[in-house]
Amino acid sequence: MTLGGAAPEPLVHIQDFRMDFGEKTVIRDLSFDVRAGETFGFLGSNGSGKTTTLRALLGIYQPTAGTLHIGGKPFSPRDGARLGYLPEERGLYKKESVLDVMVYFGRLKGLDKSRARTWSREYLDRVDLGDKAATRLDKLSGGQQQKVQLGVTIMNDPELLILDEPTKGFDPVNRRLLMDIIDEQKLSGATVIMVTHQMEEVERLCDRVILLKDGTARAYGTVSEVQEQFGGTRYRLSYSGTLPASARYDVVSDAGGNAELSPRGGTDEAAVLRELIDHGVAVRSFTSARTSLDEVFIKVYGEQPELAEARTR
Amino acid sequence: MTHHSTLPEAPAKAAPAPVPPRRPFARHNLRTVIAFEFTRTLKKRGFWIATLAIPVVIAIVFALVYLSNSSTEARSDAQKTASFSFTYTDDSRLVSDTIARAIGGTKASDAETAIRDVKQGRSDAYFAFPAEPATQTVKIYGADRGIFENGKYDAVAKQLLTVSAQAAVGSPQLTAAASGDVKTEAQTFKDGRLTGGIGSAIPPLMFLVIFYVSIILLSNQMLSSTLEEKENRVTEMILTTLNPTTLIIGKVAALFMVGAVQILVLLTPVAVGFLFFRDKLALPALDLSTITFEPGPMVVGALLLLGGFTVFTGVLVAIGAVMPTTKDAGTIFGPLMALIFVPFYAISLIISDPQAPIVQVFTYFPMSAPVTGLLRNAFGTLSPLESVIIIVELLVVGVLILRLAAHLFRYGSIQYSGKLSIAGTFRRRGQARGPAAGK
Repeated sequence: MTLGGAAPEPLVHIQDFRMDFGEKTVIRDLSFDVRAGETFGFLGSNGSGKTTTLRALLGIYQPTAGTLHIGGKPFSPRDGARLGYLPEERGLYKKESVLDVMVYFGRLKGLDKSRARTWSREYLDRVDLGDKAATRLDKLSGGQQQKVQLGVTIMNDPELLILDEPTKGFDPVNRRLLMDIIDEQKLSGATVIMVTHQMEEVERLCDRVILLKDGTARAYGTVSEVQEQFGGTRYRLSYSGTLPASARYDVVSDAGGNAELSPRGGTDEAAVLRELIDHGVAVRSFTSARTSLDEVFIKVYGEQPELAEARTR
Repeated sequence: MTHHSTLPEAPAKAAPAPVPPRRPFARHNLRTVIAFEFTRTLKKRGFWIATLAIPVVIAIVFALVYLSNSSTEARSDAQKTASFSFTYTDDSRLVSDTIARAIGGTKASDAETAIRDVKQGRSDAYFAFPAEPATQTVKIYGADRGIFENGKYDAVAKQLLTVSAQAAVGSPQLTAAASGDVKTEAQTFKDGRLTGGIGSAIPPLMFLVIFYVSIILLSNQMLSSTLEEKENRVTEMILTTLNPTTLIIGKVAALFMVGAVQILVLLTPVAVGFLFFRDKLALPALDLSTITFEPGPMVVGALLLLGGFTVFTGVLVAIGAVMPTTKDAGTIFGPLMALIFVPFYAISLIISDPQAPIVQVFTYFPMSAPVTGLLRNAFGTLSPLESVIIIVELLVVGVLILRLAAHLFRYGSIQYSGKLSIAGTFRRRGQARGPAAGK
């Protein structure tokens, strides 16, 4: 089966998805699409429903209501889709050797034994685990196990790669390595859905995002659109003189010769700067910046401990 | 902050080339699962320690028996031919003086003198043969030569009486006939056809032995096989890679193969001992010519074994899917294992009165049906109709339980911290299936 195919429909299609656990509704009326070839950020605080949505999409949970399709139909491993899934709750057969486990999953994902073995060795060399091929998994560190798990996830050259908090447990060096590998997958044409609390990763990698809060979508679109929706562009300037009142902008802050302005109605930075100069303001510096996703997050979720922690990592 | 490009920096090392799968994703997965589960079990040191422990113990016991028997036999032979002086009195008049003299015996005039001679070391032993040796005790008085050496007095006294009796009868055949040392061969008939007797019961009983050995040796592995995915957090990777039914069937098939290896390892020392050292090990003679293989009971036995194995495997796998840890599963596992031994409490009824109500209950209750059915099949009290009913019941129940086990694995194996609500997994679509916590 080819996930994307020539069908005009999106690769992942979720429509009116609802999920109840007993009396508790954890997801309600969630709808979004993921297009073939894009990298999609699936964002939200803990308990907002991200992992539940992914599990329902992959048939691990039975949804209460709604449509969850991959490649135009509900996912089933029987269909032979080239899927790579790195779950949040992750682990492998700890008593087995690294190579045996990788070859096993490679076989399950459709590779023949020798190819699975060759690919695994090449991958292990790349992530500096070449000498650990015969080592039992429980003898590896947590980060090393994560690398093996990532290898298992991508070894079938997935068309759809779903990564639930992929950088969890990685140090900065290995996080960079992981990001490189995700980049390569993306460049090779894979569609990537990524759950993460690392906003800089989202801004660097993702084409579009959805923000989930309490089981509902709070924002959905390109990264720029979401930034725009929750604050848009800001102009920061250092000056001397007096800021004039203007229909072109609002003054967000103004103290000690430093100000932040919010443009109105799509006014561009040149028009604002010209107006300031025309009114005799001596502008020493002027920069334009979008609201960061970090700031968007804080606006949507408030300062939550896990987000604060993620931002400091 | 501006939106960065998604283009990455060049990686330090080249990634392995993408691998297009050469064969369809879902094919051959059963074979892969079986091979993986089978080989990894055989690679475990613990498996071989557990598997070889019993044969090693058997081999040690056999070796001890062998050495002991060799020593005993030599000592016995030595004792039978032991040369020592003894006196005897014979109220039975069965003992031949000639024979007694030939082996060093002298007839004593009276018992008191003979006993005194032994006490004072003038004679090694004195035997007092009573009037009725068959019902009365032959009294032996001897000089103490140690616990084991003293056995020669008993051996010589008996030998003297036996040889004297044979000489009196004048025919070894008559002696054998008189002592009941004869062989018989019985033929029984049912509906005009020759029945096999006990010889025909032995082959179908082997299925019962295989059933017990498989369940006892493999039950722990069956239980832990699905718990392993849960405890190692492999479940989500597995569920998105292959169908849980394929995984379960693969595990069961691999366990069956592992069981076959274990049985082979267990039987090897027994077979070697029987074939090459039977006499030395004092193993009973097995006259294979009396064994008959009747197709009907053999086929029924094989199917009962298959059905019983399926039922028990399914139940154990289901327990593994429901319970969060091996320790928790153990609380259910014990009573379940007891169920397969329950029919043996009524074994005499099962064999002699198969229509007794308790036997009928055991015959049709799925957990006791395999053992009861296999026993009745071996002893010829299971009618063809009953055989069909039990086999169909076991296979249907077994398949249903395996399907239930796969279902529970699918929805229970991602419940990492608590026991699964089985009812919860069957809620209609209006209620989601899965752990009661969303993320």
